[in-house]
Amino acid sequence: MTTVRLTQNMMVNRSQSAMQNALVRLADAQEQVSSGKRINRPSDSPTDTTSAMRLRGSLKATEQYARNAGDGLGRLAVVDQTLFTVTDLVGRARELALQGANTGSAGQSSRDALAAEVDQIRDELLNQANTQYLTRPVFGGVTAGAAAYDDDGSFVGVAGAITRRVGDDVNVRVDVDGQAVFGDGATSVFAELDALSTALRAGDSAGLATSLDALSDRATTVSTMHATVGATYKRIETAQSGLVDRKLNLTTSLSNIEDIDLAEASIEVSMRQVAYQAALAATAKTLQPSLMDFLR
Amino acid sequence: MTGTFSSLNTALSALRYQRIAMDVASNNIANVSSEGYVRRRAEAVALGSPQQVAMWSRYDGSGDGVALSGITRMGDPFLDMRSRREHGQQSYLDARVAVLDRVEGAIGEPGDTGVSAALADFRNAWQDLQSHPESAAARSQVLAAGQSVADALRVQASNIQGEMSDQRGHVLDLVAEINVTAQDLAAVNQNIADAAAAGLDTNDLADQRDLLALKLADLTGGDAKLGANGVMNVTVAGVPLVTGKDASTLAVASGIAADGSADGAPLVFSLTGPSGTATLGAASLKGELGGTSELLTGTLPDYLSGLDSVARQLADTVNALHTTGYDANGAAGQPFFSYDPTGAASSLTVAITDPNGVVSSAQAGTLDTSIAEALGDLSVADDAYQRLVNGFATQVASSKRASTNQALLTSQVDGAREQQVGVNFDEETVNLLAAQRAYEAAARVMTTMDSVLDTLINRTGVTR
Repeated sequence: MTTVRLTQNMMVNRSQSAMQNALVRLADAQEQVSSGKRINRPSDSPTDTTSAMRLRGSLKATEQYARNAGDGLGRLAVVDQTLFTVTDLVGRARELALQGANTGSAGQSSRDALAAEVDQIRDELLNQANTQYLTRPVFGGVTAGAAAYDDDGSFVGVAGAITRRVGDDVNVRVDVDGQAVFGDGATSVFAELDALSTALRAGDSAGLATSLDALSDRATTVSTMHATVGATYKRIETAQSGLVDRKLNLTTSLSNIEDIDLAEASIEVSMRQVAYQAALAATAKTLQPSLMDFLR
Repeated sequence: MTGTFSSLNTALSALRYQRIAMDVASNNIANVSSEGYVRRRAEAVALGSPQQVAMWSRYDGSGDGVALSGITRMGDPFLDMRSRREHGQQSYLDARVAVLDRVEGAIGEPGDTGVSAALADFRNAWQDLQSHPESAAARSQVLAAGQSVADALRVQASNIQGEMSDQRGHVLDLVAEINVTAQDLAAVNQNIADAAAAGLDTNDLADQRDLLALKLADLTGGDAKLGANGVMNVTVAGVPLVTGKDASTLAVASGIAADGSADGAPLVFSLTGPSGTATLGAASLKGELGGTSELLTGTLPDYLSGLDSVARQLADTVNALHTTGYDANGAAGQPFFSYDPTGAASSLTVAITDPNGVVSSAQAGTLDTSIAEALGDLSVADDAYQRLVNGFATQVASSKRASTNQALLTSQVDGAREQQVGVNFDEETVNLLAAQRAYEAAARVMTTMDSVLDTLINRTGVTR
């Protein structure tokens, strides 16, 4: 547009709108610097807003997964520790059975003593089978009760998986089925120990041999389950360290989308400040002269 | 035949004219910042021989001085019309941007307090329950997180509803203002016609008329055209609003009750004039009224129904899972959320009050967590909500861009108009000086004539 005729009002208006524009741009830049955010409202960049919302959601989820994983590890550690003790106890029971089977070196009174120790081990195993993590029996499945086994060695839990979510669509089982470790009722480790105790007291060498076999099998079962727990523990640990990496990545991405580059933004503010000052200076100069100044 | 004193008359006519020229220049300077003022120019015409020579008559004069042929108002109807059109469009966009900006600010995304964050927290609460189904605290936390989601959605919905209620009131105000302005314009039209008939100066009335027409364009986006005798006729969407001295009455036909509440019907306006009543759909309007109507019939209700569908989707999916399980007491699960189907987002609330009513188990009486597990993975509402915010933000961004572009265009057109009608001090000072000098020269002519006549009357025949 060519200007054929210029009026003082036009200059005033133009100066005003130029100053206003410069001030608005300065305020925009200052808002970004003072908030530290590139996106202060969705319309600043609709696409980035959606990405930011997704990333924020993922970030929260990742933090939660890490918490779940930590909790799962705590629970597995209890299971792991318990299985160590169980392995020891079963091994000790086997030793006692071997000692009892060695009839030449032991009289009935010493076998009675062995039987008494076996009874002790049975009670201790029952205790271990009812180990709790945060008031829940770790071998009881999804039971709402406080125990996995009653005093008779019968399973009173409810079989079911206890899981922790450690990733999108990754639910890890963090419990061990009590029945798979200890058996149930007549086939339980408790019944096996009862049988051993009876055989020792009766001096029944055939019974002792059966018990020895049963206990060997039980030791294998327990260590197999123990290995499974170890593998799960490892899996959650791996997931956990993955989550740490993922959190870092997500935070970086979010920061790339939402946050300003401070150096760049500061320079931008300075530039806009200069522009604003220039607009002010130009206005101060252009609005002063008129023909009146030169007519006397 | 020129008389002896005709030169005196010539000088007198110049004195008269130059005084008027100085008046006009000083009036221009005085009105430099008057809104709607269009600069004037005193037009001179030389007086001399008659334009048509009468039969047998002769003219042997050499000019009889100057006369004022009129005071021209330096307006340009074409630029005025463009200015009105751009202003109508500008007001339309500005009305939208002002409201959208407010609504957008209240969405609070991306941030730690919006619906998005509440939904993520809700999921996390379910995962905590999955980890600790025995804990009453985890169940309470799920309830609290659910309530946060419902609150966040309700706050947004009520913001939108509040904004809509404000805008309905604004529409009623605008309608009243348009009617007053239209009546004012009709009255000015009447005055212009009367003044023109009486041969009076209509320039000041024309300034008023253009100002009112611009205001109507701002308010309605109406189309104003100059008619006979300098009256301004305004039509809105093809329907006459002001015709000469007659103004039609704009009213809200349906959509908004007299007290500013919504009556459920679509927003329709009516224009009642001398020739009957015409209806105007909300979409046919431009200007501030058009922008506000568009918000009321399009943008805001659309966003609200989007929120409603997010709320419905969330509530339905959660409820569907929640009712298949068993709560902490072993009872069958009840719906987690409740809402009113006519306004899901604004009525969403957590239906369960007892933390033991929160379901995590699919087996009665156990601490199974399969329901909590499924709910901890729920993201249907997130996707829908993100799409909604994205769509809305895109609208806001494009409105802002359009408004900025339009502002450039409007200021260009206004600049072009100002070039034509604005007062320039230098120019007026020069005009003033020129008139002053011309006045002085005419006075000198009088002195000269006086001296000539003095010679003729007093010195003729005197030999001493």
